[in-house]
Amino acid sequence: MFKFRLIGIISLFAVLFVLAACSDESTSSGSSEASSNTLEVIKDRGTLNCGVNDNLTGFGVVTPDGAFEGFDIDFCKAIAAAILGDASKVEYTPLTASARFEALGSGEVDVLIRNTTWTASRDRDLGNDFTAPTFYDGQGMMVYADSGYDSIESMSGATVCVLQGTTTELNLDDRFTGSGIPYTPLTFETNDPLQAAFEAKQCEGWTTDKSGLASKRAGFPAASGGPDALVVLAETLSKEPLGPLTRDNDSELYDVVQWVVFGMMQAEESGITSANVSDMAANPTDPGMARLLGVGFEGGEVQDFGFGISADFMQNVLYQVGNYGEVYDRHLVPLGLTREGSLNAQWTDGGLIYAPPFR
Amino acid sequence: MPSSLFTQFKSEDSIKKKLNLLFRNRIFRRFFIQFVFGIFLLLLFFYIVDKALNLELGFGHLSSRAGFGLSHTFIIDYNSNDSRWMSYFAGVINTIRVSLVGIVLATILGIFMGLARLSHNFLINKIATGYVEFIRNTPLLVQIIFWQLLLLQLPHISKALTFGGLSVWSNKGILLPIISSNENGSLWTLILFLGLIISLILRSRLFKYKEEHVDLFSPNLISLFTFVAITIISFFALSMKLSFNVPEVNINQYGTYIQSGGFILTPQFAAVLFALVLYTGTFITEIVRGSIQSLPKGQTEAAMALGLNSYQRITLIILPQALRSIIPPLTNQYLNLTKNSSLSVAIAYPDLFMVSRTIMNNAGHALPMFVLILITYLTLSLVISLIMNIINRRVTRIGA
Repeated sequence: MFKFRLIGIISLFAVLFVLAACSDESTSSGSSEASSNTLEVIKDRGTLNCGVNDNLTGFGVVTPDGAFEGFDIDFCKAIAAAILGDASKVEYTPLTASARFEALGSGEVDVLIRNTTWTASRDRDLGNDFTAPTFYDGQGMMVYADSGYDSIESMSGATVCVLQGTTTELNLDDRFTGSGIPYTPLTFETNDPLQAAFEAKQCEGWTTDKSGLASKRAGFPAASGGPDALVVLAETLSKEPLGPLTRDNDSELYDVVQWVVFGMMQAEESGITSANVSDMAANPTDPGMARLLGVGFEGGEVQDFGFGISADFMQNVLYQVGNYGEVYDRHLVPLGLTREGSLNAQWTDGGLIYAPPFR
Repeated sequence: MPSSLFTQFKSEDSIKKKLNLLFRNRIFRRFFIQFVFGIFLLLLFFYIVDKALNLELGFGHLSSRAGFGLSHTFIIDYNSNDSRWMSYFAGVINTIRVSLVGIVLATILGIFMGLARLSHNFLINKIATGYVEFIRNTPLLVQIIFWQLLLLQLPHISKALTFGGLSVWSNKGILLPIISSNENGSLWTLILFLGLIISLILRSRLFKYKEEHVDLFSPNLISLFTFVAITIISFFALSMKLSFNVPEVNINQYGTYIQSGGFILTPQFAAVLFALVLYTGTFITEIVRGSIQSLPKGQTEAAMALGLNSYQRITLIILPQALRSIIPPLTNQYLNLTKNSSLSVAIAYPDLFMVSRTIMNNAGHALPMFVLILITYLTLSLVISLIMNIINRRVTRIGA
């Protein structure tokens, strides 16, 4: 009996090995397939995996009841609404700044919307494709109001808290070392220990995108002085265009993400909101609006742009999430980030929010 | 017998019986199993080689400008204009620094606590037991963050504790006074270190000579005299000037507090160090206690019968014998400490793992970077193992 059991075990081992090799083969080919057409994978799966921030008020934060909300979160919802017709079909993956690109590259998330700055090396070296920026930001420096700092130059010898693996870390060094100002960077992987160090005044300055600083300032605990104890210096250290990104060579999903963002911008320009989108779709006022909403104009044919999703995807997006201005007003205006006069105003108002034509 | 097996195999007509015959033959069965296993090993090998050939294992990106600053640099002078290789190297040095200091302190702590665990003094015994049980049973990462938060509770630098101007304690760091010297300082330290080794070797040689030949001199005195002579001669030969370097805090023209002078123990380094030392110390404590307890009780009793006091009992009888069973598990703890230092990524201490993560974020190439990290840790661990094996060989040889 024993020898047959032994042979049995060996053959079981062999079969398992072959299976393992096969499944390995299939997953690796699966992932290469996924990288070429994530859109189909999302449709089959029925949910969108979205890499987000869970610790930045206004952009991406977990509410007390466990839901995600914020400016970036709404774009995840919009993409899910466009592809799957349901804004709630999103699986959120909270990511740290330093882990986000690995998560996207490995296929853990389909799209990364985590206040990520578009740079050349990230676009090329890290194998990402950046879509249209959803928010034009700039790096700022936050200090204690009673510290007396009024410029970067006055911060000579100071310690600055910064998040690891961010463009801000590099910009910080460019600004200080470039001007010959001595400083010490204190580099944290996550925001919580960073904030603890800043509250203990271990570092004099806290640098990140100005939107992030506004968010952190708004939520600064009263025990440490509240928002009024802090000021954000006027100087902008860098350009920080933030937007969604997908993997390289993932054109189908990339185009959808890109044009959902543009669609939300165009809708604001055309005056379509979540409240009136149904009326507009039933009765488009001009052919351009009909094309955006995927309906025929005065009984004409529907123009399908061939995104591989339903032609009226913008109706779902606008009805369930809203246009760009609505999303902005909902999340960023409460932080004190006004649109008037900023880069994030519509191009008709002198800003950079500009959608190419839906044609 | 293969030949008879072959004829038997031919004579059988049904395939089932033929197979049955084959698998009942021990020689064939052994051969078959090993053959199948060998095939699969070969397949696995080719699979891995094939995958490895497809990977992009370039380190070219490490030659680019780093562009980020590091809060801790030691020995080497790094700035953001240096290459990424240099920043990685600075990270490696930070890892070695915290590991080396950690190993020394954890060993001292472990030996004392191990002896305390065996003490008959109620208070000492219970303190040691409490220390082990409390620290050993909590996660190291939590402890590191705990120490970091605790050190943040030190006063702000504007209200730093100065201890009469000798030292500066604030949440930006603990500055201790040190003796500093002119530019030949490191050379002199090296000579002192060599002198110490020379006089120790001399001492053991003299003891051996004394045992075999004459009993006219004291090896202790002679070796001490040698060391003092080396110290004084090199001091004057290098025209050394020693001064007392007392740390101080100044305010620059913009109102920023600048601390300078002395030896700085930053909160990040201190937090990682404390956590690693305390955590690893508990395991070393248990190793020391276990090794001592594994010695026959007769050893202690014999030492007492010879009239040795408790200090002599420990240093002359117990520890030398216990060391034989202490060293191998101690090596494991040293390796653990070194590897655990990568947890410092949580609290802004730029060890090699943290620097690599930053490089990966800036330049990608995650896989080659991880290969590099693994090789670095492997090298560190193998060096520690090598040194410990040499020590182990020496220890086991004594009295054998």
